Formats: sequence, structure tokens, C-alpha cells
Amino acid sequence: MTQPTLALRSVSKSFGMTAALDDMTLELFPGEVHAVVGENGAGKSTMIKIMTGVHQPTSGRIEIDGQPVVLSGTKAARLRGVAAIYQEPMVFPDLDVTENIFISATDGLVLRRTAMRQGALALIGRIGMTLDVDRVASSLSLAEQQAVEIARALSQDVRVLIMDEPTASLSAHEAAELRRIARTLADGGVAVVYISHRLEEVFQIADRVSVIRDGKHISTRPIADTNPQLLIADMVGREVGNYFTKMPSTAQDEVLLRVQGLGVAGVFDDVSFDLRRGEVVAMAGLIGARRTDVALTLFGILRATSGQVIYKGRPLTLRSPADAIAAGIAYVSEDRRKLGLAMALPIRWNVSLATLRRYLSRLGLIDVAAETDTALSFRKRLNIRTPDVEMIVGMLSGGNQQKVMLAKWLNMQPDLLIVDEPTRGIDVGSKAEVHDLIRAFAAGGGAVLVVSSDLPEVLAMGDRIVVMREGRQMAILDSAEASQEGIMALATGQRGAA
Amino acid sequence: MLQKISPQTLRIIALLAVLVLIILFFTTQIEGFLSGRLFNRISSSVAIMALVATGQTLVILTRNIDLSVGSVVGFVAFATGSLITNNPDLGPTALLAYAATLGAGFGLINGLLVAYARVPSIIVTLATMALFRSTLVEYSDGKSITTDNLPGWLTDFPNMVVFALGQMEFRAGFCASVLVVIVAHLAMTKLRPARQLYAVGSNPEAADLAGIDAARVVLVAFVLSGLMAGLAGFMFLARFGNITVVAGLGFELKSVASAVVGGVNIFGGSGSVIGAFLGAILVDLLETGLVRWAVVSEFWREAVLGTLILAAVATDTIISRRLARARAERAQKEALATRVAK
Repeated sequence: MTQPTLALRSVSKSFGMTAALDDMTLELFPGEVHAVVGENGAGKSTMIKIMTGVHQPTSGRIEIDGQPVVLSGTKAARLRGVAAIYQEPMVFPDLDVTENIFISATDGLVLRRTAMRQGALALIGRIGMTLDVDRVASSLSLAEQQAVEIARALSQDVRVLIMDEPTASLSAHEAAELRRIARTLADGGVAVVYISHRLEEVFQIADRVSVIRDGKHISTRPIADTNPQLLIADMVGREVGNYFTKMPSTAQDEVLLRVQGLGVAGVFDDVSFDLRRGEVVAMAGLIGARRTDVALTLFGILRATSGQVIYKGRPLTLRSPADAIAAGIAYVSEDRRKLGLAMALPIRWNVSLATLRRYLSRLGLIDVAAETDTALSFRKRLNIRTPDVEMIVGMLSGGNQQKVMLAKWLNMQPDLLIVDEPTRGIDVGSKAEVHDLIRAFAAGGGAVLVVSSDLPEVLAMGDRIVVMREGRQMAILDSAEASQEGIMALATGQRGAA
Repeated sequence: MLQKISPQTLRIIALLAVLVLIILFFTTQIEGFLSGRLFNRISSSVAIMALVATGQTLVILTRNIDLSVGSVVGFVAFATGSLITNNPDLGPTALLAYAATLGAGFGLINGLLVAYARVPSIIVTLATMALFRSTLVEYSDGKSITTDNLPGWLTDFPNMVVFALGQMEFRAGFCASVLVVIVAHLAMTKLRPARQLYAVGSNPEAADLAGIDAARVVLVAFVLSGLMAGLAGFMFLARFGNITVVAGLGFELKSVASAVVGGVNIFGGSGSVIGAFLGAILVDLLETGLVRWAVVSEFWREAVLGTLILAAVATDTIISRRLARARAERAQKEALATRVAK
């Protein structure tokens, strides 16, 4: 083949102690659609950010047309012809299509509206779409907004177009349309990087496919030389040291939660499973599988439109998180920053945040002594490493923040604990501790639903495993019969629903 | 038909319709309300506010706010007045340039603090509002500028009649202000750098990815806002002649009200200078009408004004949201139809 348009040569990137990319090498040739697949957290986003100039590599180099380059920012990357479009399009909602496409143009002080309109129509036409170029971007569908972004990239002579999960939020028809556009661009000489969780899509569109795992490049093969099983094996294969020990089940007989045909219109449907006291059920799947939405529905943030929830033997209708909390359901969010913790407040305040009513004296004042006692006891129980409980939560490490968040919800003494990505972004030692805490809660008679993208974690924690894919429940596996490959085959749609 | 007109134009038409309705209402309530005198009164007062509101609009478009404009108007009016008092031979161009530069200088201070020191604009300009005002008090030493010390060309300028339609006099001050508004409006719609203002306010993250230097854009918006407040200070001096330390007090909120009533989104990204101009007229018209409307007592006037402004903005928001939804639905139907046709 000819010279690669863009190449990563032994690129590494670390954030503090964690290595997000490790010795990554990737070559992108003109005219190819190059699919990149990997589990959640494999390092795909970091790789995109390196290629688009958002992050600088810690070591290694980037080459364009064989020449080493420094991409000092997104603008520099754009000038070199590297552009990316994302699942959530980056458009200007208040500007119209024409203005969106030419926002980065620099020729001339006065806008020539007529010429710009013509140009916009031509670019939209080049990707084979029809679109009213006078419409305001906020009125466009997601697919149309992506088209606008692609047209903008084309207006700047894009040579490498990175598409990050571009079809995750699109309908089947729109997704097919987008793949057609990607192919058109590649045929015109653009190097297209196509990142997707949908393996069938990868086999429809890609010329070559690379697998990355734990920030490392695992394999690159022409699409004809590989098959879904091979890709899945590459995606999940791990060194033995990373496995967690399988925990013995503590499940009792009493069914605490029975979910029957639960659905939210347009998001997910027909989810059914039982959860017994003492049991830990893990929910596996890839981004866009709608696992978090199921959790949010069980916590009353999303409103169910079909099915029912039987809780403690009675039908339960949840209208708000307050209803869920009153029923003894706690939800530990995956997003510590946004939904989980008040980062600027001390540990003590965070621990009592959801249960403050219990700490009120008769005058309605907060009983600080009792509050401190609780915080101290959790510090001991959860092994939160901090000199004192007045420490601002934002100053703690990720693992300790996660424990504070668990403390906040455990302090509620819930019957049902829903934890979403409980160990994302924390070190291995803390991971094991968090696992122990969750299991201890179950052993004490609580029921736990763990949503996790970390397959070893799913296998280690779950007594049973619910696998989701694009809003559908694919299977419920017994942990004894489950394997990483089996779960991944279900999650990517390579194996049908049981 | 309705769908063919752009949302911005539709907004202007709606504002004009509301203006007509309010005039009709007060005409039925107040004897002799609709007269040449009403036009002259409102046009003289809007001549100043329109300039401030134009600057305020530029700042709000970038998701910021400038609360210091009232103090800048006051300071510039006073400083310009004392300059001409001490140097009576100074010409109009030099004096105008002095006012504009002084205003832009204040804007630069705000802009640097907001764009580069990254202090939220509401805090920066709240502080500078007080700072600039206190500096004025210190600088004036408690004295006032009086009309007697100003040259005739300056004090006569705002009231000079350019042309008249019956009783309605188009005075030089108003005409000059309208000219500035028109130039600003054309610049905002036709110039490439102006588009960046909208982009930064509409989606800062996307603006960054599109290679736009957001900090510089914000800085420029504040400098222009200061410049417009400087011009307004010049007009204020010319119109009133007697300048004390309270000159321009309350202009900051009135300019924000004008912009918002005129359809400028307080969260940035959308709105027009012409809209803010019409907003300034609307607010002034309401104020004037309420003063003369016997039904509303003096004590309730502010409350009624506040309620009316709230109602205007709420109606505007609801209507434009509905329209946008209708448009999107129609587009979706069309897309479906073409797909079926294929």
C-alpha cells in the first residue's frame, strides 16, 4: 500500500499514575475505512483525543504523510485535515446549517450568504443528502446534525475523519445512510476511522479492523481475514493477574424485587428479572445498551411506560427518587462528579446528605456530633483513607470518593442497592475493597444490582448476569455458565437472545 | 407562508405587533396619548438607551452580562463634560473620540478579567459597577457639570430637528443613535467575525473544536459594550447638560431588560441588535404609559412594569419554542415523504 495519511508510532498517554494508552501503533491509509473496536474503557477515546490534538502524547509520535507532527490543539489538527464526529454532534444550535458548515472558514471579512448557501448545498449534495440549508441546527435530527458536521469537515479538506460511535443513537435507516456516507468519503480518498460497538456494522463497512484493549494495540487485520469470534477473543483476552476472585453467593430464598416486562418507550423494553435478598445480580452490556436507564427507572428518575415492578411482594409505582428512597432503594451513580457527590463539601456532609432528617435535633438543628460519629464509623468500616472526616471530598482519590458515595447510600440502610459502574477509574486495590463491601451488604440481607462494563467484575460479583444490548434483554446467565466471550457475543449481537 | 419567514424576522414582526397593541391600549385609556410629543419624548430617551442595549446585546450573546454599563455612562458623561468645560475649544470629533476611548477602556478591564482571569462576568461587572461609580465620585469631588459651561453645539445637537413628519420630530440625537444601531445590526449579520460571537454563545465546546478563540471573542464583546456605553455617555451629556454623580444609575438593568424583551436569549447564542432596539422602545413606552395611566398608582408602577416585562419574555419563549417544534415536525414529515417517494 501507499504511505499512511496518519500514523501513531508507539504513542503512550498517562494521566497521573494510570496509563490510558500504552505503546499504541496504528496506521491509517487513504481510501480505507478502518474500524477500531474494544471494550468500554479500552482507550479509544484517549486515542481520538490524541489524534485530534486535544491531548498530547506522553511519549511516541504522530506522523502525517510520513512526517512527524505536533498537533498542539484542535485547530492545528483541523488544519492538518484531521476531524472527528461524535455520537453527540457538536453543532451550534442557534445557527443555521449554512452558518454551521462554514463557521471555521476564514476567507473574507464580509459573509457572502449566497455563495455560502451554494457551497453548503454542494457539500450536503456531495455526501448524497438533501437538507434545507436555512434550517436552524437545533431543529435537525441527530443524523442530520452529524451530516452537517461531516459537511463542515469536508469544507476544510478533511483527510482523516474519525467517527466515534456515530450510529449509536441513530435509527437503522439513518445508520445505513451514515455508513454509505462514510464509504463515499473513503472512496474519495479520505482515511475514515470508524469506532463502533456493533460488530455486524464493522463487518458491513470496514476494510480493516483493529482491536485495542487496556490501552494497547492488540491486532489489525483485513476484514476478510477475521470473524466476530476472533474479534471478541481479542477484545476480552486478559492477563490472568487482572481477574478478581469469584465470590460465593449469599442468596436467600425471599424474592425482594421482581421486574416484569419493564420498559420505557423508545429507550428499552421487556426487561424481566428477579432479585433475591442476599443476591448480587450484575447487568452487563456495552455503551448504548441502556443498562443505566433500567437502573434510573428502578430509582424513579425515568418513568416506566410498560411492565411492572413487584417489590417486597407488592406492586411498586415510582414517581420520583424520593419515592424510591422511601421504599428503601438506593442508587449509586456512575457519575461521581455530576450525580453522586457534592465535591466541594466535606466527607461528613456528604455521608449524611441523603439521610439528613435523622440528624436533626428537636429544635430542627443538625446534630453535628451524631453526624461525625456516623462518618467516623463509615471511615473505619469502608477503610476510607483520610486523616479526618472534615476533608473536602474533591481532594480524595477516586477510590476513596467511591467509598464515600457508598457510605452515603449505605447510611440509608437500604434493602435494594443499585450500583452503576462501582469501580470505574479507581485502582485495583480499591476495586477489590469495593467488591467486598458490596458483597458484605448482600450477605447482610440486602439485594444488589450492579451495572458494570468491566467483564471480570461482572463475572466476579454477579450471582446471575443480565446481558443487555441496545435496549433489549439478551439473556440471564448463571455465573457458573457465563464466560467473558459468551457475554461479549450477546452484548455485540453475535449471539441472539436466548 | 409563516414558515418561510426566518425566526429572527418573525420575532421582529411580533415585537412590532406588541408595540402597536400597547400604543392602542394606552390610546384608549389616556386622552391625547398618541401625539407627536409622545414620539419626541420616547425617541429622545431611547436614543441613549439603544446604544447601551446594543453593547449589552453583544455581551449577552456570548453568555455573559455587563452590569457596569450604567457606571460607565455616568463616568464618561462626567469626564467628557469636564474635559470640554476646561477646554472649550475642543471640536466634536475629538470629544466623541475621547468618550468612546474612555468607554472602551472600561470595557477592556471587564473583558480581561472575564476572558483571561476567568472570573464570572456577573461578579466582575458587579464589582466594576461599584468601582467605576466610586471612581466617579472621587474624580468629581462632589461637583457637578452644568449646562452653562458646555458649548452650544453640544447641548443643541440632540434636539436639532433633522426632519419632521407632522408633529413627530426626528431629532439629531435619535437619528445618530438609529444609524449606530443599523450599522451594528448589519455588522452582526454580515461580518464573519460577528458570527463567532454567536458561535461562542451557542455552544462553547463546539466553538473550541471549530478553532475559535473564545477568550478573544468575549474580550472584544466587552470592549464593544464599553465603547457603546461611552457613546451613550456622550449623548447623555449632550441631552441633559447637568451631570451629577448619579448619572446613568440603573441603566445596567434597563439595558438587560431591553435586550431580553427584544428577544436576546439570556443564555447566549441568539438575538439581534434590532430586537434589542425595539425592546428599548417597548420598555420606555410602557414606562411612559404607566406614568400617565391614572389606574395604576405610583407605588404599583414598578410592579406592573416588572410583570409586563416578565409576561413579554415568557410569551416570546413559549411562542418561539412552539414554532421551532412545528418546524422540526414539518421537516421530519417532509423527509419521510421523500424517503417513501424514493
